[in-house]
Amino acid sequence: MIVNWPQVLFNSVVTGSLYLIGAVGLTLTYGLSNFPNFAHAEFITLGAFISYGVAHQLELSLLPALIITFLITGAIGFLCYRGIFQPLARGGANMIHLMVASIALGFILRYSIGAAWSWKPLYFSNVWPLSSLWSHHDIGLLSITNLWLWLIFAAVALSVIMHLILVKTKIGKAIRATSSNPELALASGININRVIWLTWFIGAGLAAIAGIFRGADTQIWPMTGWDIILPVFAVAILGGIGNYYGSIAAAYIIGLAENIGVIALLAVGLSTEYRVGIAFLILIVTLIAKPQGLAMLFRKA
Amino acid sequence: MNPLLYALDVLVFIGIFGIVSLSLNLEYGFAGLANFGKVAFFLTGAYSYAALSQIGLPFYLCLICGAMISAIFGWLISLPALRLRADYLAIVALAFGEILRLIVKAERGIAGGVWGITVAPIFPYTGSELIYRLENIGLVSICLFICFLIAQLLSNSPYGRAIRAIREDEIAAEALGKDRAKYKAQIFMLASAMAGLAGGLYAQYLQFIDPYMFMPMITFTVWIMVILGGPANNWGALLGAALVELFERGTNIAKDYLALPVDPGNLQYIMFGVLIIFVLLYRPQGILKESHVKTKALELAGYGRSTAEDKRG
Repeated sequence: MIVNWPQVLFNSVVTGSLYLIGAVGLTLTYGLSNFPNFAHAEFITLGAFISYGVAHQLELSLLPALIITFLITGAIGFLCYRGIFQPLARGGANMIHLMVASIALGFILRYSIGAAWSWKPLYFSNVWPLSSLWSHHDIGLLSITNLWLWLIFAAVALSVIMHLILVKTKIGKAIRATSSNPELALASGININRVIWLTWFIGAGLAAIAGIFRGADTQIWPMTGWDIILPVFAVAILGGIGNYYGSIAAAYIIGLAENIGVIALLAVGLSTEYRVGIAFLILIVTLIAKPQGLAMLFRKA
Repeated sequence: MNPLLYALDVLVFIGIFGIVSLSLNLEYGFAGLANFGKVAFFLTGAYSYAALSQIGLPFYLCLICGAMISAIFGWLISLPALRLRADYLAIVALAFGEILRLIVKAERGIAGGVWGITVAPIFPYTGSELIYRLENIGLVSICLFICFLIAQLLSNSPYGRAIRAIREDEIAAEALGKDRAKYKAQIFMLASAMAGLAGGLYAQYLQFIDPYMFMPMITFTVWIMVILGGPANNWGALLGAALVELFERGTNIAKDYLALPVDPGNLQYIMFGVLIIFVLLYRPQGILKESHVKTKALELAGYGRSTAEDKRG
């Protein structure tokens, strides 16, 4: 079997970039609110649909659609936390209740999307018929599309911007402080609620961006988010929950594992359907062997 | 469609999902274990039944072996469960269920892969749909009754009190000499066996299974049953199963008679979601709440009267 290794590596970076954008919001809200938000999948789906909607209605191109989607979905994420999870947590709900509530929220969002749009897949190519986003061009051995380049660019930009926010700005320091010790943060005069609200806003907004890229690369339907939620969880957990730098490393590790895994699957004669299983396996092994994930490598962060 | 036949079909489904709901209630309600991969054990039972009935085992052995294979998987999941926090366990179980589904989907040798496989029914079809359904109701009722009896006896026994103690405070229970690892493993095995039994009944009743019948949706539907009916109350688990099943069927019927602006198929799940959030916010104990622990010692000590009053009220 001849393997085009540069292409495999490039694909890994593309996959990893998608998972990174999807997972940053999850890992931050998970770390701060202390429960896994399964409705994160629906934030991803919402992003795909909202951007499809606004791009279609207002005839926007990728970048403005992306910004508007980030803001709308972010606001929805904030409202979901403020309307559902905050009252639940105040009322003394335990972690299992919060998880079940997030699944219930996922139902509401997913089927509302199904009712508002449809369960039939939609394609961004309907909105941007003349766009050069999807055309393949070859550079040496590599076959790439502009969409993938945009995706990688978005992931790199996100990494740098989030790093600067977390390290340089007051709000970033407040996020890190609240994540590592909420009582101490409160005692130091940080408005914890505002920090959590902002994190949910950013988290849902980033999930939405992952949804746009996923939707543009494949299709948009109410399960767009569920299709990638377990790899996204795998990234958040392998990276160490709440650990931003860990999730960057984890995203590319899982991207690499999936793309190399497919070749391994072909080599041993197994179905490539197992591709999605690779991330599940990493997820399970991490949780059982080392639940703190890669966070130990980034203890300072 | 004949309304009587339809009603009987609903009863079979209530019975089968009642068993799964009881089993999740054992894990979540009594032992506090968040099994978000319930469908994995349901799937194991169904596929075991399909495979074993093909090699010609009698149906009761197929059901029992299916339950036992599910129990083994339950034991496997219980190994990490001892060390994992509630959220980690939930995610591991969810991923486990998806991996199992992936395997039966990709491996055509096991049971037809994506195309599924036909399953021989326990009661050979004699030409009358009515008799077929009545026979199944009989069998499902017997199984449900046995599972209910086990769950009910367990929950009121010293064993049941021990698992409730572990749910409330693991360390305190361990300090009192309750081996939480052993208890959790046993509860997982028992509950998985029940789910496996239900899976076997389901496969033979529908006479066909494929991987798309075992989506994570099943798990969440069963969670809705337990949360709605009342965790740690076996009657609640049954009530929840009946309510959810009737509600699902009701919306399916409404689809044919009502012209709603929203497709009832979507509306049904939106309403489930809203309902669960309201239950969690305003009545987290569910419709039927957990009954007080009753023991001779407590009665003698004078606590008996207050618990009896609580029960009336």
